[in-house]
Amino acid sequence: MAIAEVQKVQILAHAGVKMEILSTLQEEGLVQIERANVEELELESSSHEVSHLEHRLHRLSSALVYLSRWEEKGFAKKLFAQKPQIDRQTREEILDFDSLPVLDKIEKLEAEKNELLSEIKFFEKEEQFLNPLEGLELPLRSLKPTDSTEILLGSLPISQEEALKDLAEKEAIWFEVINRGKRIIYLFLVYAKGEKDRFEQILKDLNFVHLYFTENMLNMADEKDRVKDVMEKIQGEIQEKERRLEKLEKEGQDLFIHREKLMLLHDVLLSERAKIFSSGLLGETDRVFYMEGWIRSSDAEKLESKLKSCTDAIEVYSRDPLPEEEPPVILKNPRPGKPFELVTKLYGLPQRGSFDPTLPMAPFFFLFVGLCVSEAGYGLLAALLSLLLIKFAKPKGGLLQFLKLFTLLGISTAFLGALIGGWFGFPIRSLMVLDPLQDPLSFLILALVLGFVQVWFGTLLNMINGIKNKLYLESIFAQGGWLLLLPALVIYLQTKQSIWGILSLAGAAGIVFFGSPSRNPFARFFGGLYSLYGISRYLADVLSYSRLLALGLATSVIAMVVNTLCQTALGIPWVGWLLAALIFIGGHLFNLGISFLGGFVHSMRLQFVEFFSKFFKSGGKPFSPFEFESKFVEFI
Amino acid sequence: MELGFTLAVFGGALAVVLGGIGSAIGVGLAGQASSGVMSEDPEKFGSYLLLVALPGTQGIYGFLSAFLVMLNLGLVGGPLKSPTLYQGWQLLIACLPVAVAGLVSGIHQGKVCASGVYMVAKQPKDLMKPVIMAALVETYAVLGLLITILLLNGINL
Repeated sequence: MAIAEVQKVQILAHAGVKMEILSTLQEEGLVQIERANVEELELESSSHEVSHLEHRLHRLSSALVYLSRWEEKGFAKKLFAQKPQIDRQTREEILDFDSLPVLDKIEKLEAEKNELLSEIKFFEKEEQFLNPLEGLELPLRSLKPTDSTEILLGSLPISQEEALKDLAEKEAIWFEVINRGKRIIYLFLVYAKGEKDRFEQILKDLNFVHLYFTENMLNMADEKDRVKDVMEKIQGEIQEKERRLEKLEKEGQDLFIHREKLMLLHDVLLSERAKIFSSGLLGETDRVFYMEGWIRSSDAEKLESKLKSCTDAIEVYSRDPLPEEEPPVILKNPRPGKPFELVTKLYGLPQRGSFDPTLPMAPFFFLFVGLCVSEAGYGLLAALLSLLLIKFAKPKGGLLQFLKLFTLLGISTAFLGALIGGWFGFPIRSLMVLDPLQDPLSFLILALVLGFVQVWFGTLLNMINGIKNKLYLESIFAQGGWLLLLPALVIYLQTKQSIWGILSLAGAAGIVFFGSPSRNPFARFFGGLYSLYGISRYLADVLSYSRLLALGLATSVIAMVVNTLCQTALGIPWVGWLLAALIFIGGHLFNLGISFLGGFVHSMRLQFVEFFSKFFKSGGKPFSPFEFESKFVEFI
Repeated sequence: MELGFTLAVFGGALAVVLGGIGSAIGVGLAGQASSGVMSEDPEKFGSYLLLVALPGTQGIYGFLSAFLVMLNLGLVGGPLKSPTLYQGWQLLIACLPVAVAGLVSGIHQGKVCASGVYMVAKQPKDLMKPVIMAALVETYAVLGLLITILLLNGINL
């Protein structure tokens, strides 16, 4: 059911056309290459050296990161951006494009930029250092000790100023304050050299800190230059470097025209690397190579003719998978069911011998999301937005399927919303069959009935699956017992007619006698009794569907709250209508978001935990054919 | 008469406050985890936002229940009702399922979402798996909400 048939394909060809064959396979993207059993066939492994490509790819991607700064920005631009489409001819031509000069240039620009930035940082630090000393009116170079005096610059905590003043009155020491900060003062200080050690100790006790000009500052200063002049020079340097940075920026921007080519080359090399990696999975001798892989049965003929048209020196065999092999799984569903494959894939692909649960699950999922959101306005809006995105953003692959799924769920929501919900919080009574706010009990019963149907259906699928796998007795009597017991018991409890009671007992008997696989009659009987206890799980499963009511009610009540708030806001003079409009739009968008999130997630949980657990075994591997790899462009 | 009304209002307030505390702690836990992870990998903001927002529903359920209480009392859009003492107690007790279940499940959902954030950081393709895990915790808040709504609906003033 709904899993595509897969065959094993084996290719034997002349070693000379190995790369050509791989290119064809990559272009077609039909085959998932498997590692050939080299030892058993006594073949050599193919070499697959890719380090030179790795190196080049690394350079290309960092160059592209550099260039991406000039990319056009904006959310809408990104959303609607199309990847450039590349055909075979362009793909081959790009290999002739000599990217090295551009890469070299970009790398040089980047290195130069980094150097300039660090230099600017250095000069800014120096400037910061000089800033408090700006008032010093002496040339930098003249601040040298003379024969009899020591000359120095430094800083002192403001609290110690008085102590230093006292000292200066008594001793052979003189100082001048250059600058006063909040907590420290900057000093120019002279003392007699004769008592250097003593003065040094005193100054240290006063928490005096020496400040020295750096080598660079002294070098920059001419004979007569004061601190102010040096600072001007430093600022000049910084400005000069900033100008050069701007120039570099401009040069970088000029290189932006090469971006598309670099992207293209990057992706071509990426695919090339994938090809070389895949060649490592082959086995070969001097003359021939051998490869094997999986292919959709329906594609096998197409592949053979494609390969035969490349070369004569080739043999292609395909056969059905052996019982011990585990072929990859390809889900195959008709178009309306395809978007729901996303939900199945999230849980896991079916094991061999199981089947694809997408189609049995889809109608329930469709209905449940609609019931959880149950708001016609939101449904229409969601469907419309998804359709617009599909039309204008032209997404591919998973995203496209997701948007399609969302469109379907929007339609379901709109439909069910019209029947049991409102339009942006305003119910249209003439369309409604049930108002959950007035009559929640009916909605609850509806939710439980739906749950009962799905759980029963899941058990039915389990029985069918069991019969297919030749577990006749257990399937027919135990699973069949549940299928009989559950509805019969419900009807009996409602009507108290004895015929339904008897039917329930018959079902229960089937479960008790065939519910356990044991051969020992006692173990079998008590094991069967225990599996009858599983009825509590069925009960819990069905009750779990009551969440449909809770989530459905939550959406309508929040929509109502938003509208009530709008009404209150309308009462405010002058700006009331504006506030009301903002609350209306913001509130309903918020509600739409959380309602769909909740509806989606909880409906999914119902499928996974309550439904799939009855019959579905996951664990299949996805089919991932050998094809082009791309990041920036799209190969056609 | 007056006391009944006060008790009912207290019930509504409890629903908002306890549900809100649960959500606030839960969102906080997940938010911390995601900010930490984003410092390494800022690209996946959208996926993390989803996980961080999930424990926020308990607060909304509490808010919604409080709103239903207000509707019942006529505080919104109707003439004020005057419930008896017993009816006041009934309304207060009706709010407890959503309030307490929301408080506890919000915190635990936050923990699940926080570990979900770490998982998405390593396996970006498996975003929906931790989301489903979080939904398993949320079930109990949803059931609490369900009972609160049914109870509030059943108490007619």
